Amino acid sequence: MEGIPIRHARRGDIPSLLLLWGAMMEEFAALDPRFAAHPLAREHMAATFASWLQDPARLVVVAEEGGRMVVGFAAGVVLQGNGWQIPARLGRITDAYVARPRRRLGIARRLAGRLLDLLYEKGVGTVRLAAAVQNEGALAFWQSMGWSDLETVLERAVPVEGRDPEA
Amino acid sequence: MDEARSAVRAARRSDLHALTDLRLHFLGEAAHADARLRLMPDARDRTEHALPVWMGQADRVLLVGLDPAHDPQGPGADNAAPVAYAMGLLGAVPPVLAAQHVGEILEVHVDPAHRGKGLGDALVAILGEALIGRGAQVLRAAVPSTHEFARARLERAGFAPLQLELERSLDAG
Repeated sequence: MEGIPIRHARRGDIPSLLLLWGAMMEEFAALDPRFAAHPLAREHMAATFASWLQDPARLVVVAEEGGRMVVGFAAGVVLQGNGWQIPARLGRITDAYVARPRRRLGIARRLAGRLLDLLYEKGVGTVRLAAAVQNEGALAFWQSMGWSDLETVLERAVPVEGRDPEA
Repeated sequence: MDEARSAVRAARRSDLHALTDLRLHFLGEAAHADARLRLMPDARDRTEHALPVWMGQADRVLLVGLDPAHDPQGPGADNAAPVAYAMGLLGAVPPVLAAQHVGEILEVHVDPAHRGKGLGDALVAILGEALIGRGAQVLRAAVPSTHEFARARLERAGFAPLQLELERSLDAG
């Protein structure tokens, strides 16, 4: 486990990041169809990953096996608070995923730990993330690392006939 | 619910003072229940400055609720101070999930003295209708984990839990 290095993502990692991101979204959608990806999601994420790697407020780290195969990644961002409530500045983990065959090796814990260290170095004292309520494994993982519930996000689908066709 | 629905209307400039108080109370309740949501020192100033701007935004819906016990068409109804409010926003999000036009129910608050009259349910219902009317493909709302009453209100309106927002302090190690 100690042999799998965690490093900053590079532009050449984008194809691997896209593969991992796609697998992550498929797992999410299998747990909850509300997470089904948009048909243009892959194209959008290719551009998004490229922009994240150029953005000083963004962090993307990868776990690389054997010096050439990216088997997991985690992404975060430094944000301003909402202006009403503390903190004035916070970190957010936007994505974290390890390829299924490489789980239970401590890679996710190392990715998350590295990302939190980097956010802390950027002056962040509070970090948030969202995990699907159906994703019990992810919730248990984050809670085991000291994360606790802050808010519940609820959703209601809108029947097509209820929408404004002009909007 | 019909009586409560008739006590809901769009916010007006004349509501600004009452709306500021209601919003600070809303934020204060969340802070009281969970210190991680405590207020910035200038939250009142920021609210006073933001509310008039929000009222003029086409993608934002700001509603107020009056005391349902008072006749909304009766004498003095125009000057009645709001005892509740709700705010929502229609946002266009990138093509990651299927729905790109998301109607967010941002805040719903009823003055404690006027709870149990259906105002909160009426505000959620009317706000949802307004956001759908603006093109929302899905409605979302985030409520503090400590606010079981707010979660129950949304579940009565057909909402179901989607995600948990988790937090960790790095300062605590």
